[in-house]
Amino acid sequence: MTYDFDALLGRVEKPGRYTGGEMNAEVKPIAQADISFAFCFPDTYEVAMSHLGMKILYGILNSLPYAVCERVSMPWVDMLSELRKNHIPLCSLESHTPLSRFDIIGFTLQYEMSYTNVLEMMDLGGVPVLSAERGEDDPIVLAGGPCAFNPEPLHLFIDAFLIGDGEDSIVEVTDVLNACKKEGVPRAERLRRLAALRGVYVPGLYHDEYNADGTLKSLEPVDPCAPPRVLRSILTDFENAYVPTSPPVPYLQPVFDRIMLEIMRGCTRGCRFCQAGMLYRPVRERSVDKLVELARESVRNTGYEEISLSSLSSSDYSCISELAGRLTDALKDQRVSLSLPSLRVDKFVQDTLTHTQKVKKSSLTFAPEAGTQRLRDVINKNVTETDLVNTLTNAFSNGWNAVKLYFMTGLPTETDEDLIGIAELAKTAAGAYYSVPREKRVKGLRITCSASVFVPKPFTPFQWCRQDDPETVRRKQRLVREHFAPLKSAHFNYHDSGVSQIEACFALGDRRLARVLHRAWQLGCRLDGWTDQFRYDLWLQAFEECGLDIAFYAHRERALDELLPWDHIDAGIDKAFLKREYERAMRAQTTRDCREGCNGCGLQKLKGVCRACE
Amino acid sequence: MRMMVVFEKGETLRYIGHLDLMRAMQRALRRSGLPIRYSNGFNPHIRLSFAAPLSVGVVGLRELMEVPLEDGVSEQAFQDGMNAVLPGCLRIRQCRALADGFPALMSLAAGSRYLIRFPSNAESDRAAAGFEAFMALEHYTAARRTKSGENPCDIRPFVTGGTLQKTGEGWEIALETVATAAGSLKPSLWLECLRTFTQAGEFPHIIYRTAILARKPDGTLVPMEEV
Ligand code: SF4
Repeated sequence: MTYDFDALLGRVEKPGRYTGGEMNAEVKPIAQADISFAFCFPDTYEVAMSHLGMKILYGILNSLPYAVCERVSMPWVDMLSELRKNHIPLCSLESHTPLSRFDIIGFTLQYEMSYTNVLEMMDLGGVPVLSAERGEDDPIVLAGGPCAFNPEPLHLFIDAFLIGDGEDSIVEVTDVLNACKKEGVPRAERLRRLAALRGVYVPGLYHDEYNADGTLKSLEPVDPCAPPRVLRSILTDFENAYVPTSPPVPYLQPVFDRIMLEIMRGCTRGCRFCQAGMLYRPVRERSVDKLVELARESVRNTGYEEISLSSLSSSDYSCISELAGRLTDALKDQRVSLSLPSLRVDKFVQDTLTHTQKVKKSSLTFAPEAGTQRLRDVINKNVTETDLVNTLTNAFSNGWNAVKLYFMTGLPTETDEDLIGIAELAKTAAGAYYSVPREKRVKGLRITCSASVFVPKPFTPFQWCRQDDPETVRRKQRLVREHFAPLKSAHFNYHDSGVSQIEACFALGDRRLARVLHRAWQLGCRLDGWTDQFRYDLWLQAFEECGLDIAFYAHRERALDELLPWDHIDAGIDKAFLKREYERAMRAQTTRDCREGCNGCGLQKLKGVCRACE
Repeated sequence: MRMMVVFEKGETLRYIGHLDLMRAMQRALRRSGLPIRYSNGFNPHIRLSFAAPLSVGVVGLRELMEVPLEDGVSEQAFQDGMNAVLPGCLRIRQCRALADGFPALMSLAAGSRYLIRFPSNAESDRAAAGFEAFMALEHYTAARRTKSGENPCDIRPFVTGGTLQKTGEGWEIALETVATAAGSLKPSLWLECLRTFTQAGEFPHIIYRTAILARKPDGTLVPMEEV
């Protein structure tokens, strides 16, 4: 390390974000690798190091004998300005190599509000921000993750998107680029070769046109290499897929400082607002035997003192009680504790309490999402009030006294009654607490209800829906707040609508938003996911300067036959299925969990993909 | 049994704080599979303790900790077992099984030795030129940050020795400090005082702690691992 960089470290908050040197961090010499990959996480180190997907892909890439993968995360504002002031490029954690010197850089897109960070990181790393301005020697810029399913707002900046499960496709892409590098294949041809791979979308090979009303007219390939629709990658052998049992163990505490054991991928519940539930279909589970083995190996390699189960809905794992029991036994000797999902505590909490004393008493969280049964039926959130009361009563008599309930406002068909229902549900929760005899419950009840603003997402049945405009959001928040005022032990939190509005624009946006993004970044927007950094005024300015209307993107109901900006991406889910689900939602009709029988979402048409429907 | 462990906290890790380092060591111990003695109680953990916390930004060449173990672990086995599971920037240099009744290392810590290295430039040369005069002072008052806020404090009594040497790239100061009833002195504060006294601006430097000191019965200060 140089004295220069060292001097910077002395001046910034949490310098440990930038120094690396963690146990299990890769130490392969970068100069000897045939091809180098910078895995870029467009948020701070602490968020990056909590992310399972990054650990998986980092591990896979470094297991390739010819490749080396290093990590880069988004510096905090203090470091950003130090780097700029001192003309020091953004470098990788492992070997302190500037971003521009890698062959490939890959971003994971977890959240729309991290898009400006993508631009900022490239720029700081000396990589031209615009794809069209990159030369033969510049890195190929990839992006993947859930937001890549609507890639268009980033189409000017990313050379190729990886759609779907990344495990196999990242290897294919790296292989192809490695071969191209050896053969000296020019950049344009490299991208065309990528476009031919399953799950890869190269936006530069497509052209967009619009109708007079501003809606999309067409988005079609202009090159024979590019398929009209890009089918996502689907990992089929989940049981034997790579699991990062020796990820880097950070010094600085990340958001999740523990082993995250991915017990299953996908979710069968079919909540209609949930993008992850649609994108990660079908459900794939690992066996208990395998998981116990993986847990042991992870503890041996990391030394973590805690392990948690990771999936979209861990309590739905078929053998959750058996798994909890066997993991607890396996980890006892090393004093490793298991933290369990709190949802549906009723199923096994009694059981588990006898297995382990370490179930966390502090926080119990539930997500009813909506205040009334009617609205929960609309969104297909299969939680009834009776479920909730039973679960809470159970938990309160087992020593819990604090509960967090998560809601959304602005869901399709919502009325004031549904909003007031949020306060009613808080009252019901309090009732469950007081129904437990005084000597059996722990004093000091705390109920925290948080409401976020609903953001419609692509590939959900609500992809045609509008988001509430800021005025309506404020009125609704006021209404709920008023109904919370008389409640003693319940507290209501809500979010500012500005962030959700911009988030909706970029979730649902088309190619034209790329210019807004570029402009907003030029104006100084970055780290927008952090409330204290978000600059709503600059975003408004950027939209205005580009002549685009926020309401058109965020607050407009779309016709069911409108061509959507992500229709050329094939998530494996039929549009017809989404329409059916949308219509059922409007009638407040629920749809069964597809473990109970296939609902024909579209995956059944792909061979060997969905076991449940075979 | 307890093991006294001399370890190096390398350059890469000099900005990692005390608690973060503690957690990293606990995790390394768990990885090593060595027979660790866990604390009893509801939340069993590894009760290791460092002899003297190292201030953030300083490289530790011979840091000290003690680790409670089940009986019968050899010094060599401990050192090898740990080095196999520690990253390159954390290295065990030496181990010593402590006799029962050996006092807690923390209670023995009496001072530290540091090495401050810096390349030669206009500012650092000015500091180097004023070094002798600064050392000759009998008192020097500076604002020292303690738990109760910033307080003016005479820093001179903390300093028991200092020498300056010319090196290939610039300068090197060897500094010895002791803890007093008022606490201890951070080497970075001492350097700041030297700069203020010599009217030198900021200059790049790196600070190493080369030893944690303990007192022998005759009162002389020696590296703790030699006691
Ligand atoms: S194909 Fe059927 S069973 Fe499989 S995820 Fe879709 S609805 Fe569920």
